[in-house]
This record gives sequence, C-alpha cells and structure tokens, in this order.
Amino acid sequence: MSVIELKDLTKLYKQGGATIRAVDGINLSVQEGDFLVIIGPSGSGKSTLLQLLGCLDKPTGGEIKIEDKEINRLSDGKLAELRQHKLGFIFQSFNLIPTLTARQNVEAAIAKRGKGDKNKALEVLEKVGLSERANHLPSLLSGGEQQRVAVARSLINDPEIILADEPTGNLDSRTGREILDILKSLNREKKQTVIIVTHSDYAKEFANKVVEMKDGKLRLEKDKG
Amino acid sequence: MFYLAYLKAELIRRIGKTLIIAAGLAIASAIIIAIISTSQGLSNSQKTVLNPLENVGTDILVSRSVENKKMSSLDATTSAELASENRVTTDLSKLGDAGDSFSLDTFMSGTMLTFASSETKKLTSDLVKEYASGLILTVTYQEGKIPEITAEFKTGGEKFEIPGVTPMTDAERAAVDAARQKAMDALKAKGIDPQSEEGRKAVRDAEQAATPERFKGAGSTFTAPTRTYRQTLETPQTDIKTESYTIAGVDTSKTDIGLILPSQITEGTYFKVAGQAVINISYAQKNNLKVGGKITINGKELPIVGIVDPKLYTNTADIYVPLADLQTIAGKADRINVILIKATDAKAVDATSEKIAGLFAGANVTNSKDTASKVTGSLMDATGLMNRFIGLVSVIIILAAFIIVSLITVFSVNKRTQEIGTLKAIGWKNSSIVRQIFLENLVIGVFGAILGIGLGIGAIVLLNYFNISFSANVASSNTLQGLSGMMRGFGGGPQAAASSSSTGTTANLKLNVGLDHLILLIGAAVAIVGSVVAGLIASFRASKMKPQEALRQL
Repeated sequence: MSVIELKDLTKLYKQGGATIRAVDGINLSVQEGDFLVIIGPSGSGKSTLLQLLGCLDKPTGGEIKIEDKEINRLSDGKLAELRQHKLGFIFQSFNLIPTLTARQNVEAAIAKRGKGDKNKALEVLEKVGLSERANHLPSLLSGGEQQRVAVARSLINDPEIILADEPTGNLDSRTGREILDILKSLNREKKQTVIIVTHSDYAKEFANKVVEMKDGKLRLEKDKG
Repeated sequence: MFYLAYLKAELIRRIGKTLIIAAGLAIASAIIIAIISTSQGLSNSQKTVLNPLENVGTDILVSRSVENKKMSSLDATTSAELASENRVTTDLSKLGDAGDSFSLDTFMSGTMLTFASSETKKLTSDLVKEYASGLILTVTYQEGKIPEITAEFKTGGEKFEIPGVTPMTDAERAAVDAARQKAMDALKAKGIDPQSEEGRKAVRDAEQAATPERFKGAGSTFTAPTRTYRQTLETPQTDIKTESYTIAGVDTSKTDIGLILPSQITEGTYFKVAGQAVINISYAQKNNLKVGGKITINGKELPIVGIVDPKLYTNTADIYVPLADLQTIAGKADRINVILIKATDAKAVDATSEKIAGLFAGANVTNSKDTASKVTGSLMDATGLMNRFIGLVSVIIILAAFIIVSLITVFSVNKRTQEIGTLKAIGWKNSSIVRQIFLENLVIGVFGAILGIGLGIGAIVLLNYFNISFSANVASSNTLQGLSGMMRGFGGGPQAAASSSSTGTTANLKLNVGLDHLILLIGAAVAIVGSVVAGLIASFRASKMKPQEALRQL
C-alpha cells in the first residue's frame, strides 16, 4: 500500500527575476515500511521536496496524497493536525527547545495530552537509549544525544511516516550511523515509513529505496522493493 | 499541564529577559502611578483653596466690597462713605500734654463698607438655609509720646546807615541852637506864640537857614524794605509707632457657618463667652501670641482662648472676637460688613445668588466660582501645568513603555523563530503558539505590575517625604493698600504696615500625594496590557510565519 503518492509535483521559487524550479514535476510512490533515502547535492531541491512531503510548504503544482488523502486543499489547522498525528520530523540541527529538558522536549510533541505524558516521554527516551539524561537541558547534551532526543520526539505519536532532513549532517559518521540504526530498527519493528534527505553516502546502506535528486528531478538509483 | 511547565521553563531559564521586560513595565507603571497620584494630590490641594467658602459651610458671601479697579468711578455718596469709614485723624492736642504717652486704635472698614445688621432680616428661611454675619475691620494702632510743637522766629537787629555825611561840629550845632533862640526871641517880641502854626514855621525856617549846606535834603523820610519770613515746620520728632492689623467680629450664635468655625481651632477653644479673642495661627506665630495670653484692643484687654487656622482665605483676619464685642470696641454698633450664606440646596447656589443680589442693591454677591478666580500662586501654576500636560505626559510614557516592551518582546520572539517553526513542524497549531506566548507575557506583565505598584508606592512615599509645598495667593476682598496714602494724614508708617497685614492671604499647602487603589490599578493595567498586547503582536507575527521559513533561519 502506498503511503505517499506524488503526482507531477512542482515547486517554483522566484529569486530576483529568475524562476527556480526547485521541484520539477516529480512523480513518486512511497510504500508503507519503505526506508527511502533521497540523496543529492545542496541546491538540488531535496530539502524543498521534504518540506512539501511534511506539509510545511505548499506546492506550486501537482498533488501530494498521504494515505490516499489529497492534502493540497487542507487548512493550516488540518495540516497541523496531520503533522502531529501522521508525521514525525527530525532536523539537521536537532531543533530542540533550549529551555526544555530532554523529556519536556519529547512531551512538547504529544498530540493528545493526558496524565501519562511524562512516562510516555520517558518510554520513548528509553527506546533511543537516553532515559538517564531525560532531565538534562539540550545544551548539556552532545550532538548525538540531542538528535536522539529529536528522534524520540518524532516517535511520540507513533507516526506513520518519519521525515528526516539531513539527520546526520551535524554528526560524525559513527554517531550518524547510531541514529540511522535507531531509525532502521523502528522501520523494521513498527513498519514505520522513513524518508531521509541526506548527502551522506553511508545512509544508502540502510535504505531499501534510494533516489537521487538533481535540478529538481528524481532518478531512481536503487529499489529493493 | 505541559504548557504551564513550558511557561515556567521559559520564564525561569530566560530569567534575564523576564526581568528586563518586567522592570521596564514596572518603571512605566510606577511613573504613571506617581504622575496621576501627584496630579490628584495637586487638584485636592487646589480644591481646598478654590472652595474657601465651602470650607466654612458657606455658599454665598454678601458684602459691599468696593473693588480696587472701580475706585475711580465711585459715586459721590459711596466715595464719601469710603472716606469717612477709613479716616485716621490723630489730633495730638487732644490726646494729652506734650511728653505724655498715648496709644490709639483706629478702626477702618477698608473697602468693605459696613451696613446695618438689620439688613440680614431680608434673608428669609425660604431663600437661604442659614446665614452668619461678620464684621472685618482693619485697625491702625498708634502709640508713643505726644510731641511738643514749637516754632521760633527771630526778627529785628537791622542797621540802617546813610553814608557820606560828616556829623555836625559843636560850632555848627551851637549856630543852629543860636538861630533857633534868636527866632524864638523875635517871636516873643512880636507877641506870636512859638507853638502856633506861624511860630513853628518861623523857628523851622531859622533852623534850616543855620544848618550847614551838606545837611540840606537829608531830612527826608526813610522807609525800611518789607520782608516776608517763611519757615517749614517738620512733623515733630517723637517715638510714635504705627501698626496695622485686621480684626473680625464673629457671629458666635452659629457654629457651622461663619468666618471661623470651632472645627478650625488648632489649639485652645472656640469662644465660650463674650470678651474673648481667638488668634489666626500665622499672626500668633509672627507675634508670639499664645493661648492663655492677653491681647489689648483699643485699651481693652481680652484673654486669648484659642488659635485658629481659618480657611476662608478671601476674608481672613489676624484677630477674631465675638461680633458684639467688636461692634462695641470699634464704635460700630449694629454695623456689619459681610454676610455668609448657606443656600437651601447646593444646586440652587447660582439662582440664590441672583435673588440675593436683587435684595441687596449695590452689594457684592460672591460664590465659590468667583473666589476661585482670585487665586494665584505656585499651586495654581503647578496644577495648571499638570492639567495641561498630564494627558500628554501619560500618553508619552505609555507609548514609550509600550514601544520598549514591544521591541523587547518582538525581539525575543524573533529570536525564537526557529523554536516556533519547530513547534509548528511537530504539529502545534497557531492558536497554541499564540496562547503560549500570550501566557508568558501575561505572567511577565503581572510580575511587572506588582513591581510597578511597589515602585509607585515608593515614589509616593518619597514625594510625601520631601514635603513639597505650594503657595496659593488669595486676593483679599478687603483692600486697604489702595486706600492708604490717600486717606491717612499722619506719619509714614501705616502704608508699610498695611501691606504687611495678613489680610491678603497666602495659603501654603503641603503637597499630599495620596494612595488611591484605582490609580494603583491603572498603573498595574498599563503594565499588564502593555505586555500582553506586545506579546500578542509578536506571537501573531511568529505564528503567521510559514514553518519552513522559520526552519530555514537556522
């Protein structure tokens, strides 16, 4: 079953007088349980594509279907709900709230709040091996630890899709692999779909599907089904 | 509740920002509190001066006061009356012999002409609620020794000489004598009486003939030139002193309306029986008069029973005695020159004033509005300034506070762009983001408000501690200055004394800045509203930001 369907997806930017085709008529189908790696040089449009997938930006043309639902026409509020329930985000610079502890950062993303929030957050932190540092502020955590908090945060609502924008970009390769390992195991255990935008070649090793992006267009590089 | 934990974390972990914004809000609200309180304190002080009539339970004042500026256009009758009521004649010859000591009080009504006390019968109970009469006089007091008045004139001692004639020698004199004898003998021989016309002529002719030639013509009559002697007589030099003070006769039958009220006594008591005196607090201080002491008025000794702080600034006096006593002492039986009236209804003051003006032809009917216009001085300047600028200053301060708080808030929210973008990416709705920032600013605003109230109270305490005082000059309705010189015939003293008399009153009022809950609330509201509005603007701006734009600013 395809989780994400892209049809002729286009995103244009106006820069000065010129129009930049950041995403240029992309067609793509992502299946449930896919570990998709999108690689490409900077400026190839891969981050823009991820933002379109994450409903953070609206396309100029074409359509995006998430679980067979056309999202182009959804309101900002509905999109926020969609992001909260179906999507998990991981960013290159971790994007933790600096005034909140690791646990509170995870809690911040909880969709339906209730009494068990603290324990729920601690559980997820344990999954990423960070339960001991739950009460630390981000500034007291290493880069890898911070990214693990971010991973935990993306998992808190059991999303169908995890979107990661250069998750290893600010980490050394050993730590980067640790993060990818965590994502891979989640992908295996829970059939969660993982889409990673990166330019680290080693990320390909974790993927079952690799696409290369260049000048706003996609080229399928590897598809293990 | 997560957002409360988030709120707490945000405020405590960014304590520097929290404190700066709260302090900014606190200062703004404290300034607002101090300014409004001060202005209210000023206008309260002003009210006590502007409503001098109200201070003595009075709505309307009736007098025959002649205003300075109208003095030149008075009709002959009033002019004459004015002159006769204010004449000081000191006939030294009637006071005793030269060298005797004397003291003399002269009572004058100044520009407040007197009228018969029976006039008050016109004030019927359906017209006015209550009234009290009074008599305010200016007293010129003189004391000293009666001088000896002498003037010396010297005349005579003039010498007249006729120059260039040598006196007669003995031979010449003998010749004249012989000639006279010969003529007499000749007359005898002829039988003519030498005393007769003919005889005397014959003798004279004979003498003339015998007189030497140089005496001829010198026998004519001589007239001394007439001269006028003029000498100015100076005022006799003695130790006569002249002083001036004001005295008021108080209608003691009323205790809730009158020139002074029992409630205004600051020391001692109000009049208990006739023949007592109450002294104005400022006059008492100047002349070191105390309760239990005595004061002499026109030779009559009165015990001082009380010190009063009179509030009827337009008609204060230095010494207060019961009306009947003053009428007797001053020789003005059944005369008064002021009636204080309480209207039946506070709203009817204007209408009642008009009716009374109709009853008392030519009288001055004054109500509190008129007295207010006579007040000048630093209090009026300060209040005027305040009234003119308080709105502007408050608006400027509120604006400045708002701009500063907005800038800090917007700046700090902008610094959190990435944070807000992240929150949106992980599914926070715009409303949740606005609520979070709104709450943060509300808490900072409340904190700033509490701090501001504290600072504001501190400022008020400080203002009161400094004891700032203002003066209000109240023109007296009784003007002697304009009259002196014109009507005093004696000495140079009274003029100076009159101007030092306390009739024209300077009321010194301490600025008393009160604590008003409402003003504290206004100050607090400024802080809270400022912070919340600034926070809302900043958070709406942030929430309108597209999440990917927020994330891009990494």
